[in-house]
Amino acid sequence: MKTKFLVSSSPHIGSNLTTKKIMLHVIIALGFPVIASTVIFGLYSLFIVLLAVGASVLGETLYNLIRKRPNTVPDLSAVVTGLILGMNLPPTVPFYVPIVGGIFAIMVVKMLFGGLGQNFANPAATARIFLSLAWPVQMTKFMNPLNYSNGAKDFVAGFTKTYVTSATPLVAIKDSIEVGGISSLNLLDMFLGRIGGSIGEVCSLTIIIAAVYLIVTKVIDWKILVTYVVTCAVLALAFYKDGYLYVLPTILSGGILFAGVFMLTDYTTSPRTELGRIIFAVFAGLFTMIVRRFGGMPEGACYSVLLANLIVPFIDKIVKPKPFGYVKPKKERKKKANV
Amino acid sequence: MIPTFKHGVKTKGRKKDTENMTFEEYPVGDFVYIPLLQHIGKPAIPLVEVGAKVKCGTKIGEADGFISANIHSSISGEVTGIVDMPCATGLPSPHVVIKNDYKYETDFLDPIQKPTKAEILDRCKEAGIVGMGGATFPTIVKLMPKTEVKALIINGCECEPYITVDYRLMLEKAAEVLKGIELVKCALGVNKVYFGIESNKPDAIDKLREVNTDGEIEFCKLKTKYPQGGEKQLISAITRERVPKGGLPSDLGYVVFNVSTVYALYEAVYLGQPLISRYMTVSGNGIKRAANLHVRIGVQLADVVEYLGLKEDVVKVVLGGPMMGISLHNFKSTTTKGSSSLLLLTEKEIREIEPTPCINCGRCAKACPMFLLPMVTDRAILNGDVEGANKSYAMSCIECGCCAYVCPARRPLVQSQRLAKKLIRKNKLTPA
Repeated sequence: MKTKFLVSSSPHIGSNLTTKKIMLHVIIALGFPVIASTVIFGLYSLFIVLLAVGASVLGETLYNLIRKRPNTVPDLSAVVTGLILGMNLPPTVPFYVPIVGGIFAIMVVKMLFGGLGQNFANPAATARIFLSLAWPVQMTKFMNPLNYSNGAKDFVAGFTKTYVTSATPLVAIKDSIEVGGISSLNLLDMFLGRIGGSIGEVCSLTIIIAAVYLIVTKVIDWKILVTYVVTCAVLALAFYKDGYLYVLPTILSGGILFAGVFMLTDYTTSPRTELGRIIFAVFAGLFTMIVRRFGGMPEGACYSVLLANLIVPFIDKIVKPKPFGYVKPKKERKKKANV
Repeated sequence: MIPTFKHGVKTKGRKKDTENMTFEEYPVGDFVYIPLLQHIGKPAIPLVEVGAKVKCGTKIGEADGFISANIHSSISGEVTGIVDMPCATGLPSPHVVIKNDYKYETDFLDPIQKPTKAEILDRCKEAGIVGMGGATFPTIVKLMPKTEVKALIINGCECEPYITVDYRLMLEKAAEVLKGIELVKCALGVNKVYFGIESNKPDAIDKLREVNTDGEIEFCKLKTKYPQGGEKQLISAITRERVPKGGLPSDLGYVVFNVSTVYALYEAVYLGQPLISRYMTVSGNGIKRAANLHVRIGVQLADVVEYLGLKEDVVKVVLGGPMMGISLHNFKSTTTKGSSSLLLLTEKEIREIEPTPCINCGRCAKACPMFLLPMVTDRAILNGDVEGANKSYAMSCIECGCCAYVCPARRPLVQSQRLAKKLIRKNKLTPA
């Protein structure tokens, strides 16, 4: 009879979910907008995204080699970071931008703070902000979606010729805030992604599909996404003249949906309790709309992610669940002095 | 809406293998090794010497103090030794070794047909009855509450995967269980009884309802969710009241009894039989034939697995449920009053602990039925911060295992909670 058995603390069974599986779900979800953006902006945009992924994986491998640590690439978190970063870039950036960004995101923002689960700021958001500061011109060059009426010739053209740059709907919104009333924006185009913008954020339809996938597989908490989007919508009503005209354009343009689904829901850089996460999402929405309305830049989603990350320790300190059966300790009343 | 408690996890039930198995008498071999420590508290004092002749039910250990329990011989034969062996919990305990004469002569107490309160209390103490849900707390203590009791709650949830003994007991011995409830009611002097059963056992509820004639028993169908059978969770599901932090059910005026305990009390009073046997599920993919056994106390687990046939691919042996049970490194320990199941698990059924970094996903906090933050305690205690672990209410942990069950990083969260509790006690900190 066999006489050696595993001995460990209970429980002895567990769910099948692993960190790697969670990451895999996120990668699958990111696949929807990646496909959409490849169709919208051509093969070069896919190339950019893949470069960012490659650079992130390379960054993680290099860091582990230098620090003589076990390889952590198989947990797939670097792939997720790379994908999110790549999709935050404009589709016309030179090839070195995603490479620098990926390595910066992983080596500086994630690994230097202790790797998976230890970083306080979202690596992709921070890297994008870093890239915007390093290459402000390249990082704001947006292009119009490809026009397939002349055949598929343009699909691969991104590698050789430079596209004509165009303004994004965000700029149209920004320009009209003082005047009020926007008519140039087609909501259906914005929903389907026939607009200029960063690679991953233009096609709202696929981002919503990805969100549903992640919510159904219980990877993300719908409360963060909904709270964030609703906050942005309410603030759009409040901040802009004729606000009701701006609600849908605000949500469908720029990175609000993308950040709400993929960046604010990052476990590591969001609060640990449900209530904390709702507060976090409200603040993120507030930061986004303040930048968009009052800041110098048309887009604030990425900045809001980073700013909201910074207040997470504070939220975690304040929002603490009370244990089961918690009884408020009675305050000792000061005895009235005898007169 | 089926009533339940907040949080918790939906486990894989895995009760299929044994839920249709009627109880089967396990044939005892040549020897039994009866531990004198089968309960929470002090070990019993041995009453017999080597060479003494004993019968089934002969008292061989006397309770040492209030929090302790009598121990009786489970077979007839001759005492051949009193040896120190580790129990399944790992604690050393003297074991009375008895050689079986295969006569099974009985030396029971007198059956009582119309018991009074005093007689029930006396019998409960004399028969060495302990809580058989797993905690093995001496039942007599529960029957003599210091505060007024509003209602009795019977725990028929059996929320641990694999185990089906309580379910079979409710099906096959419904009348006896109900008679046992009458005894507890009499002893406590209460009228109201809540009987909590998980919704995955509808036929047990039907059967009990059919047999029951007592209008004061309210059968509560509760959601199938782990740990529905946890005392605090059960009370919260049935009465919507929460036991105060650090308190006991009696603070709210409730007393909770497991169905197996109630049945043991029935046997002790009406049949005069002390607690010398119990029902036990033997299950898992590592056993050739899964079964619900009626085993006597003190049977070596090696004999039980040999009787049912062990498969080669067993990697983990668990005494008790898979969520809270103890893993064994060999089969040398014996059945006790608290062993509700023996599980022989294969590689595919268990989950190995390969801790990866916490990603702060918050699943543990969402699963914790005590509303704690297991990741905070884990981090604090691994950094040696006992104070911090105490501030995150580690002492409220009931070690149910929900946090570690859901953890995608596969961290041994319950182990760190236990370590925290131990160090908090050692450092004599006031629980936060």
